[in-house]
Amino acid sequence: MQFAAGAVGGTLLTPLPWKLADDSAVWSQNWSWRPSPERGEITKVPSVCTLCAGGCGIQARIVNGHRAILIEGNPANPVNEGSVCALATSALQFLYAPYRVAQPLKQTKKRGDKTGFQAISWEQAQTELSKKLEEIRVEGPQSLACITSSRRSSMDDLWAQFLTAFGSPNLFKMPSQCDSSRTAAQLTTGNASPFAFDLENAGYVLSFGASLLDGCAASSRASGALRRWKKDRYPVKIVQVESRCSITASKADTFLPINPGTEAALAMGIAHLMVNGANYDAYFVKNNVFGFEDWTDANGKKRQGFKNLVASSAYSPEQVAKITGLEAAKIREVAKEFASQPKALAVWGTGRADISNNTYHELVFVALNALKGNLKPSGLIAVAPKVPLSDLLPQKDILSENASQHPRLDLAKAQSCPCPQNGLYGFLDAIASGPKYPIKLLMVHEANPAHCLPENKLFMTAAEKVATLVSFSSYMDDTALLSDYILPNHMALERFDDVIGVPGAPYGYYAVSSPILKPLLDTKHTGEVLMKLASTLGGTVASSIPWKSYEDFLKFRVEGIAKAKTGAIIDKPIDISSIKAGDPVTPNYSDGADLFKKLKAGTCWHDAPTGVTFDKTSSGKLELACQSIGKGTQATDDVIYLPHFSPLKPSGSESEWPLLLVGYSIPQVSCGYLANPPFMNKLVPDSVLMGNELFVDLNPQTAASLGITQGDLVMVKTTQGEASAKANVTPAARPGVLYIPRGMGHKAYDEYIENKGVNACNLMEVQLDPVSGMGTVWATRAQLRRV
Amino acid sequence: MSEKGHAQSNIRLGMVIDLDKCTGCGACSTACQAENNISYRPDESQKLRSITWMNIYQLDNKKAYPDFKIAFLPRPCMHCDADHHSPCTFVCPVNATTRDENNGLVTHIYPRCIGCRYCMVACPYHARSFNWWDPTWPKQMESMLSPEVSPRMRGVVEKCTFCHHRYNKARAKASVDGTDPNKAIYTPACADACPTKAITFGNLLDEKSEVAKLSKDPRAFRILEKLKTKPKVYYLSKQDWIRNLADNSLT
Amino acid sequence: MDRILIPDGVKRCSFPIFSLWILVLLGVIGWGVAAGAAVLIKAMNLTGLNDWFGFGAYITADLAIIALGAGAFFSGFLYYGLSKFFPALKELGKIINLAVVVGFVCYTGALAVLLLEIGQPLRGWFGYWHANVHSMLTEVIFCITCYAIVLVIEYVPLILENRKVSESKPLSLLGHSMHDVMAIFALTGTFLSFFHQGSLGGVAGVCFARPYAFREGLFIWPWTFFLFILSAISSGPAFTALICKAMETVTRKKLVDRTVYELIGKIEGGLLSFYIILKIADTANWAFNMSPRFGLKLTDYYWGPYGIWLLVAEVGICGVLPALILISPKGRKSSFLLFGAFLLDIIGVSLNRFVMTIPAIAQPVMPFDQWKIYIPSIYEVAPVLAMLAYCMLIISLSYRYMPLFPRETELNR
Repeated sequence: MQFAAGAVGGTLLTPLPWKLADDSAVWSQNWSWRPSPERGEITKVPSVCTLCAGGCGIQARIVNGHRAILIEGNPANPVNEGSVCALATSALQFLYAPYRVAQPLKQTKKRGDKTGFQAISWEQAQTELSKKLEEIRVEGPQSLACITSSRRSSMDDLWAQFLTAFGSPNLFKMPSQCDSSRTAAQLTTGNASPFAFDLENAGYVLSFGASLLDGCAASSRASGALRRWKKDRYPVKIVQVESRCSITASKADTFLPINPGTEAALAMGIAHLMVNGANYDAYFVKNNVFGFEDWTDANGKKRQGFKNLVASSAYSPEQVAKITGLEAAKIREVAKEFASQPKALAVWGTGRADISNNTYHELVFVALNALKGNLKPSGLIAVAPKVPLSDLLPQKDILSENASQHPRLDLAKAQSCPCPQNGLYGFLDAIASGPKYPIKLLMVHEANPAHCLPENKLFMTAAEKVATLVSFSSYMDDTALLSDYILPNHMALERFDDVIGVPGAPYGYYAVSSPILKPLLDTKHTGEVLMKLASTLGGTVASSIPWKSYEDFLKFRVEGIAKAKTGAIIDKPIDISSIKAGDPVTPNYSDGADLFKKLKAGTCWHDAPTGVTFDKTSSGKLELACQSIGKGTQATDDVIYLPHFSPLKPSGSESEWPLLLVGYSIPQVSCGYLANPPFMNKLVPDSVLMGNELFVDLNPQTAASLGITQGDLVMVKTTQGEASAKANVTPAARPGVLYIPRGMGHKAYDEYIENKGVNACNLMEVQLDPVSGMGTVWATRAQLRRV
Repeated sequence: MSEKGHAQSNIRLGMVIDLDKCTGCGACSTACQAENNISYRPDESQKLRSITWMNIYQLDNKKAYPDFKIAFLPRPCMHCDADHHSPCTFVCPVNATTRDENNGLVTHIYPRCIGCRYCMVACPYHARSFNWWDPTWPKQMESMLSPEVSPRMRGVVEKCTFCHHRYNKARAKASVDGTDPNKAIYTPACADACPTKAITFGNLLDEKSEVAKLSKDPRAFRILEKLKTKPKVYYLSKQDWIRNLADNSLT
Repeated sequence: MDRILIPDGVKRCSFPIFSLWILVLLGVIGWGVAAGAAVLIKAMNLTGLNDWFGFGAYITADLAIIALGAGAFFSGFLYYGLSKFFPALKELGKIINLAVVVGFVCYTGALAVLLLEIGQPLRGWFGYWHANVHSMLTEVIFCITCYAIVLVIEYVPLILENRKVSESKPLSLLGHSMHDVMAIFALTGTFLSFFHQGSLGGVAGVCFARPYAFREGLFIWPWTFFLFILSAISSGPAFTALICKAMETVTRKKLVDRTVYELIGKIEGGLLSFYIILKIADTANWAFNMSPRFGLKLTDYYWGPYGIWLLVAEVGICGVLPALILISPKGRKSSFLLFGAFLLDIIGVSLNRFVMTIPAIAQPVMPFDQWKIYIPSIYEVAPVLAMLAYCMLIISLSYRYMPLFPRETELNR
């Protein structure tokens, strides 16, 4: 014992304990498991973001030329003016995602079995795929199909080229509001290009359900517009029309709460008051609009015009009040404001704009703007100008021969719609319900229909009937997981891509997205895979896709701009919204090579807005009476030609399904092809997701009537499916309506994403628009009970 | 030494956030995370254990549908300029968190922090987060860690630094360029990212700076001014209901 | 079996029964140590703490146990310091050894738990090295360490009085010489402990951005500094007395004279009355003078489980009531009332420490924040229980093997 005491005392006198204490503290400051980021020179590499359609200029900070650490906005880009959104700041989390597909994979077990994927070489993957393609080409090339979410990208045209040259009409795109906007533009103006809005120069904004600030496509541009609207002197009045007290509604000066899906009725009501009060741009309408007054069709039959339709008592404020749930006085007030404000603009949208709209409703909003004179050459609405890229012309159009016998699968049905468009839903329906001809190979590119397609079970059912499913995804997403082959694309920041126009922007825009880094994994640019497949297939397919690299292909496309000698490069900050239609823009590039070089360096090309022309319509005017809708049918009702409120009835009876379910988007959750990155997970409020439980929003009144309180576990049942969730009782919700956030409930990826919440698409009902045949979504009948 | 208890300098870095422009999109917060190597976990829904330097509060006006309105309030560290000490620097037993009186930045030295969390208790803004776990990243994602900000270790407190490292870089650059480092300006990652340009940053004592002008705007206010913490983060809003949420009141 | 270790002339229970009791305590301690080790190894996510509740069960238990352990220094102060002037206080000599043991276990136990409380225990010593003189926690760190050392020094002579140990000449000599200087240590300890207790109060009181905890004060010390000292000395001796009574009940022996209890009751009655008057004054000032300046009213501090009952219980039932009982001679005569009042007294002070720790930070300060509730995890409860078990273990061992009570032999003859 004495010895022990002595030992302790002695040790205390030596420096040992002090040294140990110090060492242990130093150790705690340098734990080996704490990563120490490699130091070195930091450079900035400019590029253009292609994670969404917004077309923002970005710059990446790179350490020692091989490690990307930050994505920032490029101040010289006119779209985002140096700022950057939450998704783009998280972009590197996709680049370095653990769920990226590192090399080509082949499913060796049952589809959907994660363990069944076997790594194969690119050679094997391409050989097996081209063998299948060769077989299909012989048996009937129409059996090849592709689904892509690529728009506003040359990839889109490359796919079209590939399929056309191959002989298949079956190219489909993931739904977007662009499609219905394009339909409306085509019907009314003859231009197959979606409408564009001069948001920045509007003096009064009446938004019919456009989620401008709730995570819409091109959020950067919407943010830039908001900044201009909220200026200190003479701020722009914003009126938001929708059913939920959203962020946009909160930021608006006036919120018009309406029954879901009745926006167009309100627009008709406003038009009614403008027409009856003669408070519209009569000069413009008289000289430039066809079908406003009664008209005579090709057969000489007299038809009702929009004026008499909208002026009827069916659209009186009292009637509209009944439909929308607004007060008639409020409708009068807004109509008066809208009619009297000199630069009033009506915009519209389907939430996040990732689903197409009811065509008639699109037409209603066009009509309302027409009454306001907004479609004048210098008006606030234009159609997006065409970027003069080189066209891809197939050397011999095999398709036309094949097409007569084998039309696109969605059109092969007995009864089709008058203005068929991107008929993805019709296509999926056709495959599931016994198609005219089988789909043997379905290729999915930059899309995740298994998750983010509303009523996604349609895709699942169709996929089961498809012999081979090939995904080109960079990530192990919900659709890639179901595929037989995965031929991983480079991640967006590792590859060449381009951006053709900014959604909804009136000015011309083109940018090239160049890689910020060499590819990290054994991936291949899907464009180059197509080129390789084409050359293997040989013949006309090979000759119509002659490029060896995607960069060459883009160079070829940019040549077109140089040949057209229009537009100019922007390489320093400018306010692009100050450029008016018809303003001269002098080219500041010498030739195609020079233009491409500049674009590759992260600048962008722009051109002045072109306004909207009506010279392509049969009347040479803006057509509010859309004659092509009635083509081929003996239409008896004049209203079918005209913009009118025409809600599609959701299935189920109101007595059985007393509530409505509406999906909504929040800016903190990425919904679409990209899953929510970990950075953004931090932003998701705990009133949206708690653990793995998703919250469904409902009004306190609705909650009280169902005996539900905040945080209760509930079962949401719609005509389409059911899911368990938690109740979020909030006054943001309209009584009688349930709101479910979109973008959650993935069944793939990794522990940061998988199984968080419920996928809203499982519960949503899609209805086919009778004019365009495209799927639209507005509300689904639902019930809710506490469990 | 002045009567305020610290040496006066003519630099007081501060921020003004326009809440009428803020849409709650979260870009400031994600940019901050990327810039500052903030760690994340598979489940981030337990907000009281989630590390966020730029936390975005959702405010609402407590009214019923349809008069219900929400607003967002991004909350960085306030870098309180309270007399003598900030609430947190006053209590730190080991001088891990101190206020740099040259510029007013409240800094935090991770290797010195013993993790007593007294500063978190003292901060009424909840601007500080504790590393409840060993911060870990999926192996691949370690590649995107910035070498300019050291990753933290478990058991220490962290918070917004107003991107202090960017300031150091700007000063160093000014020295090299032969200009006055005290006039060096920079913007933190959040202000850079903001899509509506709602965040303005600069020297509050420089009368000509945008941030100084905005901080004296009639719309400007600070949070919990009654506590005399003297935050260097100002907010702007025209809406009374938002302004009323800035401080406790007896009415 | 262990007969040779047991002091002369006293009776102790049989060794197997004692061993069983010790085993139970060791079991609890083992459980707590395992939980504590898990926290040290796997980090603090195992606790119920979070960014809102930076302080929780560990700190509450520490604050309470240190307040109650104050019986040691205060009894020592009265006995060694004041009994020269007030001979009546000599009576306390009959319980002073127990007070020292209680103080020793409370402080050493609290220190062990404190190690778990910090996120980087390996750097705990930075508190000495990089000390921030403005921080109340720095005061706490310095005082708690110094006083723990003093308590060790006070406790050692007791060990040396053990029959077997004192057989060794040099150790016996050491014990005696230490006894002679004990008064000096007792007074040093008193000073340190006053300071320490006060700075613990300061920890809450200096948080000037936390209206619930913040108090104005004298020079650099907020009122809570003084209130903590007062509440500690008005409950610590009561705690010692209550432990003594508990030991008497368990051992079915008389260990001290009844007069000792009554003397403690009288002292505590006076102190508690003084404390509670000041506490009420402080509360009134806080509620009606300070809070309105922050835009708050009294009811803003109470919500849900942290309701106004806390104030009623702490100040009324566990403050005013025991004070009234203890200052009345009639109250002190009744064992039920006397020990009941002691119990209320110590519950009151523990409640005070709880209120100043948990509800004080549960309260939202920003108007758009919400109240939060703290639920400690098993990893916090186990070490706290282990600390209590450790206290019982040392007290049991000390009682069995050391002559704690000078009057025990006489009283049980």
